[in-house]
Amino acid sequence: MSGGPMAIVKPEMKSYIWLQTADGSIQQVEQEVAMYCPVICREVAQNSTGSSKNNAVVLPERVNAAVLGLILDFCRFHQVAGRSNKERKIFDEKYIRLDTQKLCELASAADSLQLKPVVDLTSRALARVIEGKTPEEIRETFHLPDDLTEEEKLEPLRNMTDDPRIRLLNRLYAKKRKELNERKKLKNVEVEEQQVVDERSVDDLLSFINGGDGDSKGVRETKNKKKTRGRKEQARNNSSNNEAGNCNKESSCLASGCLNSDISDMSSLSRNSKLQNSASATFPSKLDFDDFDMDDELDPVMQEKIDREVEDFARRLNCDWPEILSLAPERRLGPISMNGNGSLKRCTAGVDRG
Amino acid sequence: MDTDSGRDLISDLPQSIIETILIKLPLLDAVRTSVLSRKWRYKWATITELVFNDTCLIPCQDKAIISCNLVNFITRCLFLHDGPIHKFELNTSYSPTSPDLDQWLLFLSRKDIKELIIDIGEDDWFRAPSCLFFCPKLTHLVLVRCELNPPPNFKGFLSLKHLSLQQVIIPPHDIEGLISSCPLLESLTLSYFDSLELTIRAPNLKYLNLEGEFKDIRLENTPHLIGISVAMYMTDDIAEHFEQSSGCNFDKFLGCVPRLERLIGHIYFTKYLSIGNEQGSFPVMYQNLKFIELYQVSFEDMKELLVVLRLIVSSPNLEELQISSSSITTTTDIYDLDFWEKDWPADCTFGKLKIVQMSDFSGLPHEIAFIKFLLGHSPVLEQMIVAPTIYVTDKVVKMLIDLLTFRRASPLATVKFVQEPL
Repeated sequence: MSGGPMAIVKPEMKSYIWLQTADGSIQQVEQEVAMYCPVICREVAQNSTGSSKNNAVVLPERVNAAVLGLILDFCRFHQVAGRSNKERKIFDEKYIRLDTQKLCELASAADSLQLKPVVDLTSRALARVIEGKTPEEIRETFHLPDDLTEEEKLEPLRNMTDDPRIRLLNRLYAKKRKELNERKKLKNVEVEEQQVVDERSVDDLLSFINGGDGDSKGVRETKNKKKTRGRKEQARNNSSNNEAGNCNKESSCLASGCLNSDISDMSSLSRNSKLQNSASATFPSKLDFDDFDMDDELDPVMQEKIDREVEDFARRLNCDWPEILSLAPERRLGPISMNGNGSLKRCTAGVDRG
Repeated sequence: MDTDSGRDLISDLPQSIIETILIKLPLLDAVRTSVLSRKWRYKWATITELVFNDTCLIPCQDKAIISCNLVNFITRCLFLHDGPIHKFELNTSYSPTSPDLDQWLLFLSRKDIKELIIDIGEDDWFRAPSCLFFCPKLTHLVLVRCELNPPPNFKGFLSLKHLSLQQVIIPPHDIEGLISSCPLLESLTLSYFDSLELTIRAPNLKYLNLEGEFKDIRLENTPHLIGISVAMYMTDDIAEHFEQSSGCNFDKFLGCVPRLERLIGHIYFTKYLSIGNEQGSFPVMYQNLKFIELYQVSFEDMKELLVVLRLIVSSPNLEELQISSSSITTTTDIYDLDFWEKDWPADCTFGKLKIVQMSDFSGLPHEIAFIKFLLGHSPVLEQMIVAPTIYVTDKVVKMLIDLLTFRRASPLATVKFVQEPL
């Protein structure tokens, strides 16, 4: 037994670090506990944040207050040097006895804070959750959408479409598809426009008047527009019915997020439709924020050219790719595929693009 | 509809976490995630570790079908995989046929493979294709029951850190070349080689693990060696060779390993070291050697005893010593117990020795003298644990009494008798 004097820890000598989570709450944490976390450590060291309430370390978005508590529990235990490996293991085993949702949140938060031990623990726990379960059970546990068609489930797995040739081919198809899409939308929007135009104009005026600073509003509108577009695409993805009805689009858009009472979104929708109506030639640039990065203008000549290119390409590639090409997030259109002799066929396979 | 309760919990986690999770699943489960949902369709295809073992087998009555299924599974997995593969492990008692295995290895050699572990079949050897020798990023290679024939233009595995060859057939002159052509090699394991004469030149080698029958082992250029574990088997051939060999095995083997920290020897290791060992010369000191474990030491053979003594006297910082005796008793010899008083320097102390464990103790005169010697020269000894062999039950009490009466240099030393686990 060592005969040295016991160290006395004076509480008032401890220093604290201020942390701010994504949901706005600010708390102070003992320095040695917080510094166990690489991201916090770096922030404090490089940017000297965390010293006061006003200058709190802003934590990444995926860290909310509840999960921060969990993370700090881990840090608090493990930063103590004297613990044996056995003690640490026992703590770790108890620590990850959480429900699945908490595990996922914890994994995400730990990853954004670069706390590798917690990432490993949660990953292992999640693997144990997944292991041995049937697909239905796994879907239920994690609330996964069952969005593969029956055919897709039965199809043997395909090779990834990372081949640059395939990517190029996909782009060509996507162009064609998009252009077909637009034509459809034009038709729909005209109908939509007629139904809705009366209300819209009033709201439009209101928004203009209420706006004040046109620029920021304009920017916001654009952003909203983008969001709406995105949601529309999403809605199309999710909806399993194949009608191209405007009301379907409208309602699905509404269902997925922009509520009835949200006026600015509505007005942006109208703005959208107006634009669609008036400027078909400038469409492509507005639609740029899609996940296809097209910047060509589509007109009939171009369209034909694309058709020819596609057929040529297909013949050149000359292989039997019946449903291998990943197309259409929207099943409605039915992706275009080829068989061996180069003629275009439609099929309904869809593959994750993302 | 309340979207929160139905919100997908997991699909939007960063890909690195998803891959970590998938790697911790048995491969079959990982591949099965492709039917979960659209987003999950190809998440498994980018994992960088593929481990094929018995968890990938689908049970069936017919062995041939199981084997066929396994081969199909591996082939399809590899074909569907996208991106680099860093680890590939195949561990099964089934033997994929040569064309399949060759194609898999060819495929892997193009995929930046870093860790390769192949342990297949039970009684047959597979022939390694030449593409195996051209995996430039290989850091970790484990081959079991394999025929290796390095091609003439093989320049070595320049990134290899860990090499383990078990029951591998390789032309004798090629094995030395293979080892010395891996400049970064840190860990070498050779198991079950036949009658091998081996010179190891590996400037970065840290851990050496040898098991099998060896005629002659030389460590020529291994300055960084930290841990050695040797299990040496003997055949009549080799025994004859020992009798005729010249030179000191101890020096050849442990002559230049100044950084050695842990030495483990099994079976005939001490006998091997005793060949050519001259009493009284200690040219090399092992300043870092802290743990010595020697099994099957014959306390009836003076030469083996000398080896043990030489080792512990050359290790001033030795902390832990474990010795088990071999239980061959040829009781007709006269024991030269004067040796302990006359021939052995009495002024050596084991200044750091804390724990000594003697197993298979059968009360041989030299064993007892050895323990007495240790007790008397270890000023910081804390534990002397003696486990008698199961064959000498009647003498135990007398031995215990004898041992407890020996002078102890360390006031803290305790002598314990423990029952060997049967």
